[in-house]
Amino acid sequence: MLRLITNNAGLHDSAKSSEYVDGSSLDVLICVRGLVHSGSIILTHPLCGNLRPNHQPFRSIIVDVKPGYVDLDSLSAIESAVNVYQSAEIIAPKDLDALTRADYAYIDAELMRESLGRYGLIRDERLCDAPSLRVKEV
Amino acid sequence: MKLELHRLKVNGLKLGEKTGFENGILTVNKAEILALISEDPLLGKNIDVDIAMPGESTRIMPVKDVIEPRWKISGKGQVFPGMISDVETVGEGQTLVLSGCAVLTTGKLVRFQEGIIDMSGPGADYTPYSKTCNVVLVLEPSDPNMDKHDYEKACRLAGLKTAAYLAKSCAGCAADSVEVYERPTIREAMNEFPGLPKVGYIYMLQTQGLLHDTYLYGVDVKRILPTLVSPLEVMDGAIVSGNCVSACDKNSTYSHLNNPVIADMLKRHGKDFNFVAVIVTNENVTLADKRRSSSYAAKLAAMLGLDGVVITEEGFGNPDADLIMNCRKCEQLGIKTALLTDEYAGQDGASQSLADSCPEGNACVTAGNANEVIHLPAMSKVIGYAEEANVIAGGWQGSLAEDGSITVELQAITGATSELGYTKLGAYTL
Repeated sequence: MLRLITNNAGLHDSAKSSEYVDGSSLDVLICVRGLVHSGSIILTHPLCGNLRPNHQPFRSIIVDVKPGYVDLDSLSAIESAVNVYQSAEIIAPKDLDALTRADYAYIDAELMRESLGRYGLIRDERLCDAPSLRVKEV
Repeated sequence: MKLELHRLKVNGLKLGEKTGFENGILTVNKAEILALISEDPLLGKNIDVDIAMPGESTRIMPVKDVIEPRWKISGKGQVFPGMISDVETVGEGQTLVLSGCAVLTTGKLVRFQEGIIDMSGPGADYTPYSKTCNVVLVLEPSDPNMDKHDYEKACRLAGLKTAAYLAKSCAGCAADSVEVYERPTIREAMNEFPGLPKVGYIYMLQTQGLLHDTYLYGVDVKRILPTLVSPLEVMDGAIVSGNCVSACDKNSTYSHLNNPVIADMLKRHGKDFNFVAVIVTNENVTLADKRRSSSYAAKLAAMLGLDGVVITEEGFGNPDADLIMNCRKCEQLGIKTALLTDEYAGQDGASQSLADSCPEGNACVTAGNANEVIHLPAMSKVIGYAEEANVIAGGWQGSLAEDGSITVELQAITGATSELGYTKLGAYTL
């Protein structure tokens, strides 16, 4: 079963199958690591965008949940990503003012838009559109 | 395939009645540029054209892209194909280049994603665009709630149209210098220089989404399989930046046009190696795409019988995975690799530099640490919006001081750690 794991509330609302992580980008990675341990394949790379990874307040990853199946490539990728994110202080969504937070959330959604579409996970295209994509207050 | 670059050396810039070039001075008719870019209904009424010269106390921010003015005066197609001209292939004939001149686009788009260019002071040392005579477009959308994709495209086209217009306006001028480039067919290249290793260039282009995109003949590169391109097509603007993300290492259109890896490989062709081909590839988001493109690029290199490749990355973080896949897969096919990247090693330089690595990546060149902190003193003039320093990538709340000075990481300076090596600072073999 395909599933989006994200701490981006606007993107969570727009996906057909999604798990919202109320926390930082590192919390998303740790959640995905748990899923990989229990049986999931990572479909989108756990690092995304062009910022220093721990400066990305939002993280969104698509996984294919396959209970009992441990994919070693996914395990390697997520462990490596967790190490990168743990190497410096994390910027959490709550650390940012509303406008900046909305910009980061917007770019996070944009970087996932193509992949969500490809894997048939967009529930409502309008929710991915710029004016309607808003971050929930944190 | 033969291309001549007819260079006019621009030493000065002024606003005036008629756009044209005389005695090293480019005169720019501001009204004509405004009329040209105002044709686009996506751009607002409060757009402006300004100029900035090397050595001036001027800061330009937030910068989206930098473009060198070029115009084809003979040969097939026209510059920036698929963008502002037809999709006909380019790379042959004669192209006029306004050397020393650049068009800069600025204006708010996605606030944290764009860059700073200082025309003097310590920041100027870190960007090659402090040494160009700059025509600056200050842009805004016609509707503040406009879709950011539409506005990004409008900004991109405004810059390209202005660059083409400036060079076209000088098309009758005699060149200060002419460079002639001639490339053999692949069949001919295979038989040339039998004693020299066959070397190629894997040209990674960032393609993750809005402001992380690149276009080849107008095609969004995330939708291609790796393919072959001539270095001469690149010089005619076949590759265009989809605007800026993390200013230090998003390759500007200017740096594509003047790609120093291509320039140096052409210089060393026939001396140190046989420069056979350029393979362009993408940096997509899904792991399946990354695996597909890296396998395909390595396969193309193997099909061409290459002994080695230079690989340049674009961006940081996610693209590190593509860089490493390209490196490992080429090496596993017996093709030696040399990598060109930059580093995000923390402000103290002590953190891991890249987000991924592999033992095969043992020949790696760095363009610098993007996290190094720099203090930029106040400038007399700011073109654009100084307050963006507090949210720009590499800045933080408080980056902009009351006296107008800015403290940021090099990441915020346009082109500071160009992974094509198009930088002002570096180590050179004398």
